[in-house]
Amino acid sequence: MANLKLEHVTKRYEDVTAVDDMNLDIDDGEFICLVGPSGCGKSTTMETIAGLTIPTEGKVFIGERDVTKLPPKDRGIAMVFQNIALFPHMDVYDNISFGLRLRDYPKDEIDKRVERAADIVQLEGMLDRMPDEMSGGQRQRVAIARAIVRQPDVFLMDEPLANLDAKLRVHMRTELQRLHKELETTIIYVTHDQAEAMTMSDRIAVIDSGELQQIDPPLVCYNEPANLFVAGFIGSPSMNFVNGSVGQTEIDTPNFTIEFDPTTLEGIGAGDDVTVGVRPEDVYPADEAGDLAFPTAPIRAQSDVLEPMGDEIFAYLLLGDGETSMSQEAATDDQLLMSIEPDSEMQEDEQVEVVLDRRKIHLFDNTTGDALTHGLLDATGGDETGGTPAETDD
Amino acid sequence: MATVDQSDDSGGPLNRWVQRSIQDPERVYRALFYTAMVFFMVTTLFPFYWLLVLALTPSSAITGGGFIPDISLFGANVPFPLPVPQGFRPEGFIEVFQEIPFHLYMLNSFALAVTTTIIVLVVASLAGYVFGRLEFPGRAVLMLAILAISYFPPAGFVVPLYDIFAGNAVTIPFTDVALFKSIELLNTPGSMILPFSALFMPLSIFILTTFYGQIPDGLEDAARVEGTTRLGALFRVIMPLSAPGVATAAVLTFISVYNEYFFSSIMATSPQASNWSPLVGGILSYQTQYTTNFQLMAAASIVGVLPMLILVIVAQERIVSGLTSGALKE
Repeated sequence: MANLKLEHVTKRYEDVTAVDDMNLDIDDGEFICLVGPSGCGKSTTMETIAGLTIPTEGKVFIGERDVTKLPPKDRGIAMVFQNIALFPHMDVYDNISFGLRLRDYPKDEIDKRVERAADIVQLEGMLDRMPDEMSGGQRQRVAIARAIVRQPDVFLMDEPLANLDAKLRVHMRTELQRLHKELETTIIYVTHDQAEAMTMSDRIAVIDSGELQQIDPPLVCYNEPANLFVAGFIGSPSMNFVNGSVGQTEIDTPNFTIEFDPTTLEGIGAGDDVTVGVRPEDVYPADEAGDLAFPTAPIRAQSDVLEPMGDEIFAYLLLGDGETSMSQEAATDDQLLMSIEPDSEMQEDEQVEVVLDRRKIHLFDNTTGDALTHGLLDATGGDETGGTPAETDD
Repeated sequence: MATVDQSDDSGGPLNRWVQRSIQDPERVYRALFYTAMVFFMVTTLFPFYWLLVLALTPSSAITGGGFIPDISLFGANVPFPLPVPQGFRPEGFIEVFQEIPFHLYMLNSFALAVTTTIIVLVVASLAGYVFGRLEFPGRAVLMLAILAISYFPPAGFVVPLYDIFAGNAVTIPFTDVALFKSIELLNTPGSMILPFSALFMPLSIFILTTFYGQIPDGLEDAARVEGTTRLGALFRVIMPLSAPGVATAAVLTFISVYNEYFFSSIMATSPQASNWSPLVGGILSYQTQYTTNFQLMAAASIVGVLPMLILVIVAQERIVSGLTSGALKE
C-alpha cells in the first residue's frame, strides 16, 4: 500500500499532447476514478503510472519512490485491463500465479496466495480451467485475482468492466467496492462511464483534452463543478446550459430572466456574458414553487417529449416560441430538460410554467468556462453566495 | 426435374454424367479433387519409388536398362506400367555406411540445421517483435531492405565469403586499408551456419513479424506489469501464442539447411565428413573419377530423406496441431 503522486506529468506524441501538466496527489488506500470522454488522456495517464508509457516531462512517485524511469515490473503495481488480457495459453492457476512464479516465490507460498486470491473473487474449483472455457465475468475475476495475488502497492484498473454486459457490470461494481474495503489498497480506476465513477470512488478526477479539470469527491463534482466541462460531463442526463448576459439587476437569457444582483459576486459585472447551468432535477413545476426557499420567477414553456424512467420522468421543455434548433451544442437556449415526479399530470405538447431552484443555479464564465458560483441567492441571502448549496428539499 | 432426366437418358454415358453433374455440382468438385490428388501423389511419390527401384537394383545392372519389362496380358505383350528392380540387393542400404561414414554426413547436416534453426528463431523473433510490434521511423525502409537482400542470388555471396572465411584480410575495395581479418572458418560449421542463418533469416522474419504483430498489445502489457521485461514478454507470452508461426519458420529453415549443398560444398574444401561436408556431399562421394555407384547413391538418398519424413510427420501431427490448439484460445 502506498500513496501516489504525479508531478507535472506531460506526454506528447508527435503532434498531440495526450496528457498536459497533470498533477495528482492520491492518498494511501484511496479509490480514485479517472473519468473523461474517449481520447481525453485518462488511459495515457494510467499507462504513465503503470510504466507502459514514459512521460515526456514530469515525475511519477509511488510511495515517495520516484518510479518515472522504472519498468512496470519494478513499480509495485498490478493492473486489470479493459480487454481482460488473460494469457490464453495458460490455465487459471498459471495466469494468477504468473507474476509470483516470475519472482521465484516458493511453491507452497504461491499455492497459498493463489488459493486466497481465488477465494476472494469466488473462483474456487476453477483453477485448472482455460480462459476460453470461462464466461466474461469469470475471466474478469481471474484478471482481478491475478492483480491482487501479488499484493501490490497500487491497483490500476483500465475500464475493467467496459466489456461486460450491463447487469454483470453493476454486480462487479459492487464486488470491486467490497474488494477495496477488504484490501484497503490504493486503486486508480479509469472509466468513461460517469455513473461508475460516481458510485465507486472516494474522489473523481475529471480529465478533458489531457488536462485535469477537477479532482474532488463525487458529490462535490456533482454539486460544485469547477467548470463547464465537469458540469456537463458529471450527471446523467447532463446539466441544462443557457447563454446569458448579466444586466444591472438580472441575468438575461434569450427566453427568460433571472433576478440577480451582480454586486454580490466578485469578478462579474453588468454586460458580462455567462453560461447559466441548472440540473434537470432543480427545475420544478411552478405550482411547487411554494416548497422552495428561493424559487425564480415562473418561466413559460411548452412540454415536448416525456421520457418515463419509472422512478421519474424526464420532460423536454421548449422555451420561447416553441421552435427548437435541435442544436447539439453545450448551450441550448431554447430547450430545458426537467425531471418530474412519475405521478405528474404533465402531458406532451402543453403549456407549462416552471421555476428554477436559485440555490442550484450555476454560473460559468463564458470565456474560460470556469465556474463563477454554484447558487444564486438574492440580496438577502448574499452572504451564502458561492458556498456549498443546502441539501435539496425534495 | 425427373422428366428432364428421362428425356436426356437417351444420350451416352458422358451425356448422362454431365447432366447429373449439372444438378449436383458437388460431384464435379469431388472428381476434380481426386484428379488433382492423384496427380500430386504420382508426381511426389513416383521419384521415391524410382529411388527405391534403383536402390534395390545391383549397381552392375543399373545402366543395363530393362526396368520396364514386357508382360503377357491375354496373349499380347504389353509393357508393365511401372519400373521394377533388376534383381534384389538390399545390402546396398548397409554398404552406404561401410563405403563412407554416411551417418557422419547426416549428423553434419542435422547439426548444421539444428544450430541454424535456433539462431534464426532467436534473431528473427527479436526482429519480428521489433517490426511487428513497435512503431519507429524507418521501419518500412528497413523491412524493404531485408526483402531486397533476400532476393540477392546466394551465389553472389560465395566468393567474398570464401575469401573472408579463408582468413584473408578484408580491405576497402580499391585501397589497401584493412578493415578486419577473420579467423579461418573454412571446413568448420561456422563457415556454413553464418551464411545459412543470413540467407534463411528474411523468410522467418516475415513469418514471425506477421504472427507477432497479431498478438494483442494488452497481453504484452499484462505480462510486463506482471513482472517480465519486454524480452521476457516476447519469449513467455508472444512466442508461445505464435506457436504455428514459430513452428512454420522452424520447419522451413530446418529443411532448407538440411538439404543445402551449394554453400557447404564450397565451404568444406573437400567432401569429407570431418570437413563438415553435408548429406548431399556424402551422397556424391559414391562417385569417383571413373565410377559412379548409382545404387548406393539411391540408397543413401532414401536413408537421408528418412529424418525429414519423420520430422514432417511429427511436425504435422504434433508441432503444428498440438501447439496451435493452445494458441488460438482467446
